[in-house]
Amino acid sequence: MDKFIVNIIHRPEMVPEYAEKVTGHGKEEDIGRKALLTESLDIFKFQQETAHKYGLKTTIQMTYASLFNDEAVELAKKDHETYGDEISLSLLGLPCKEFREKYKTKDFCIWMFSMEDKKSIVDDVFEKFYERFGFYPESTGSYYMDADLTNYIKEKYPSVKCEIATCWEEGPKAYHTCNNSWYTFMDGGPWAPWIPSKQNTHAPAANEAEDSGVVAIPHLSRDLLACYDGNGSNFGTHPQNVLRGMIYDTKTWEFPYLYNLIDQYRDLEKYNNGYAYNMMFVGPGWLNKMGRWEQPYELLKKSYEDGMAYYGKLKKEGKLTDMTMAEFADYYRQKKTYTEPECALWRDILYGSDKQLFWYCDPFMRVCVNMDQGGAIVDLRPYTAKLEWPVGIGTKHVTDASYPFLIQEKYRAGYFTHYAGEGTVRSAKLKYNQEEVDLCLCRTKAHFSKEGDTRILTLDPVDIEFQDLTLKLQTVISFKEGSSEIKIQRKIFEMSNPDAEVELNEYMVACYGTTEYSEDMLGITLSCKKGNEEEKLPYEYKCRELEMSGAEQVIATVPQIETKVSMRSDAVNAVGYVKEGYAFSPMFTLGYTARVKDKEVIGTWLKLEKAN
Amino acid sequence: MAQAGKGKLNYRCPSCFMRDLDMDMFYDKDKDEYYCIRCQYRGNEADVLEKNEMARFRYGAMAKRYTKFDFD
Repeated sequence: MDKFIVNIIHRPEMVPEYAEKVTGHGKEEDIGRKALLTESLDIFKFQQETAHKYGLKTTIQMTYASLFNDEAVELAKKDHETYGDEISLSLLGLPCKEFREKYKTKDFCIWMFSMEDKKSIVDDVFEKFYERFGFYPESTGSYYMDADLTNYIKEKYPSVKCEIATCWEEGPKAYHTCNNSWYTFMDGGPWAPWIPSKQNTHAPAANEAEDSGVVAIPHLSRDLLACYDGNGSNFGTHPQNVLRGMIYDTKTWEFPYLYNLIDQYRDLEKYNNGYAYNMMFVGPGWLNKMGRWEQPYELLKKSYEDGMAYYGKLKKEGKLTDMTMAEFADYYRQKKTYTEPECALWRDILYGSDKQLFWYCDPFMRVCVNMDQGGAIVDLRPYTAKLEWPVGIGTKHVTDASYPFLIQEKYRAGYFTHYAGEGTVRSAKLKYNQEEVDLCLCRTKAHFSKEGDTRILTLDPVDIEFQDLTLKLQTVISFKEGSSEIKIQRKIFEMSNPDAEVELNEYMVACYGTTEYSEDMLGITLSCKKGNEEEKLPYEYKCRELEMSGAEQVIATVPQIETKVSMRSDAVNAVGYVKEGYAFSPMFTLGYTARVKDKEVIGTWLKLEKAN
Repeated sequence: MAQAGKGKLNYRCPSCFMRDLDMDMFYDKDKDEYYCIRCQYRGNEADVLEKNEMARFRYGAMAKRYTKFDFD
């Protein structure tokens, strides 16, 4: 049976993010101001009342600060008894007098503390929660929960079974939008609930041994097209984020985009065995009485009420199931297997472009296929490496919690580059006489199907026009569950000259990184392999190439991210090749060329493995 | 000339917003204008509101309600 599940989460944050900074402008900082505390609690009450008014239950994530406030504790207890709301514990909202006095820092993001402080803070917060409620929480969360933190919590407080663990594609883009002052770098994770591995939160567990013991949910359900290109904080199931993006009519105060976003998420049940998910989590700072940027309080309030009203309407119509986080974790454990992927065929619902993307996520990879570029892979994260990536003070990554990419078209150019060099993308070129056409320039649409344990993306055929030859080609992309491989087939449907032969060049340009800036490529090894024969090219920025007729595999080993990526082809006349980059183009290329005729089908596989 | 402050609403710079940058503006009461400390934009409230409308040009489907999310 189709199911659309919603988690609505509220937190009584006694010192809301932004509120002190914005409403306190021109005043000396005082996070204990009585007016601030009173307003914060009023916002929490309003959020709770609005959800209940529309028949929706919530998860109340108590903040550390709120555990010192009797009224907040009593409100939570009362709503738990009356409405069945879950009383949970957030690791957001740490700032308060008590916290500052003990830890003597203004840091507030739990994943950025040293491991020693993380443990101490978790113990403080969880024990304070126990003192106030007499039990330990079943769910927790922050904007990001690193693996070491989750593992510690699960070991010490095993009642925890659900956590808010990442903000989808919140990384350098959010940093730039905030005038390079918002240090939440957590790109590269799943957009929908998953079971994090013990090694890396972003990478889902492949089996019980890797299972961290919690079900993770994303912070908000975000637009899978708009957030990939733009500021993530404008395009999610957070009404005030939509206002932040100015995606509303200033005369009517209407914002159909939010409902389109919710409805497109509902539609994803088609690709995920009848299940879809949404999460709304609005921090109180977004309902500030002083207004927020251009929006007066009345508009902020209306948007929250309208958002809840829409969820309430869907529930009344039997199209939505509201759950607490703990309830959802139980449901998810029952519904999903470890290797079952999350799939999303997503269209543009904001810009009017009709662009379409396909997102795929399983324990071995996260992939984005762009139909506006002929089905090119424009983002690829090798989860199979289960990269151990400690974050926080005292580690190599104090703030950078992103899972590294091999391909990222926005940070590393993709198809289009200026003047020289190449950008990261997995596509194909067709060559006839002296002409060459890249499928990245063939705009098309895709259709999803499932055969056994394989998810299939079938693209509408595209026409390729050379001066003396035209042909029709179709791309089919398959993901076999648990295989850690992507199969791409090119089918030649027709040629204007049935006797012609064209060269098909299947290629992948890649590198590694988490930001826009290049990393050192030394240490990467490229190779072509056939039986016992193997030719290797250690990366030295020398622009060299290797090729091997009949190569069974072309391989790049990237020790920096413990990843081996390879390609193989089923074309009988295939020639495998690898290309080293150079300083102005710090990339590597893997590929196969083959001669192809009318009605022929050629398959190429991309495989990801952990490199030890 | 006294220091700048915040206006009645916390307007962002429309010019920066169009390049995906949220920059709060400050208000100069002597000149009755908002100004950006990052770029060179300055303007009164009416100009800010007008430019904010202009910034919405990219949201071509902002007013549209979708009922279908795949393509035939």
